[in-house]
Amino acid sequence: MTYNEGAVFKWVLIVGIAAATVIGLTLLTRPLVGALWGLVLVIAGSVYGIRWTRDWWRRTRDRPGGPDHTP
Amino acid sequence: MESASVPLPHGAGGHAADSHHHGPPEANQSSRIDRQTLGILLFIVSEVMLFGAFFASYFFLRVVVNPTAWPPKPFELPVGVAGMNTAILVSSSFTIHYALEAIRKGNKQGMKLGLVLTWLLGLTFLFVQINEYVHIGFSARLDSFGSIFYSLTGLHGAHVFAGLMLLTFATIRAFRGHFDKDAEKHLGVEVPGIYWHFVDIMWIIVFATVYIL
Repeated sequence: MTYNEGAVFKWVLIVGIAAATVIGLTLLTRPLVGALWGLVLVIAGSVYGIRWTRDWWRRTRDRPGGPDHTP
Repeated sequence: MESASVPLPHGAGGHAADSHHHGPPEANQSSRIDRQTLGILLFIVSEVMLFGAFFASYFFLRVVVNPTAWPPKPFELPVGVAGMNTAILVSSSFTIHYALEAIRKGNKQGMKLGLVLTWLLGLTFLFVQINEYVHIGFSARLDSFGSIFYSLTGLHGAHVFAGLMLLTFATIRAFRGHFDKDAEKHLGVEVPGIYWHFVDIMWIIVFATVYIL
């Protein structure tokens, strides 16, 4: 995982596409449908974030400098 | 490591131990992320929480309080103008990305062009938003809708202003030749770039929430 501007730009594209689907669905149907789809996306994003953080912690804690590292 | 750089207390023979070193030892630093990037990412995490509080207020007013009309009649939100403004701000994310890609390849002219374009697009966004406030027909004192509308869009506008200030410094430094293709030599563009992308992401969410839903 790289932490730079390019990685954040990727998230601009992801959020932009997700928002475009919410806007499209809202304009084609009703605001409630768009809001529910937005909620689904937010929950999916949260689950992804929690799982990514958990995996990151598992990978990091055994590395040199990590809390569980034994030299 | 730098055993000679361990400081001794004042008056305890520090100069005898190391005649060149002054001040505390170098801070410990991760090899995977530089401290400037880590700093801006942590700052953004705190900003996400701030925006989260405002969004929580918005949805509370909209869903729980549930007024009869949102926005209250006879007012209407200028969705077309805000949509155009969204396109302007999203474009500015592409131009700042172009500036960073250019300097990574050593193209300083491309970086300057990208920075100037981003700055102009950001200024246009802010100008259009102020113009929208002037012509929208209601103030923050109207009712809860007016309050939360101006709070959310104003909070974001303040962030655009802060981003523009960062971009101003980055652009001036770019024209003075402070940046180069090495990663550690263009952090002054990288960090404002990350912040600008965050501002862009937040506007996409604000626009979809306030103007469309």
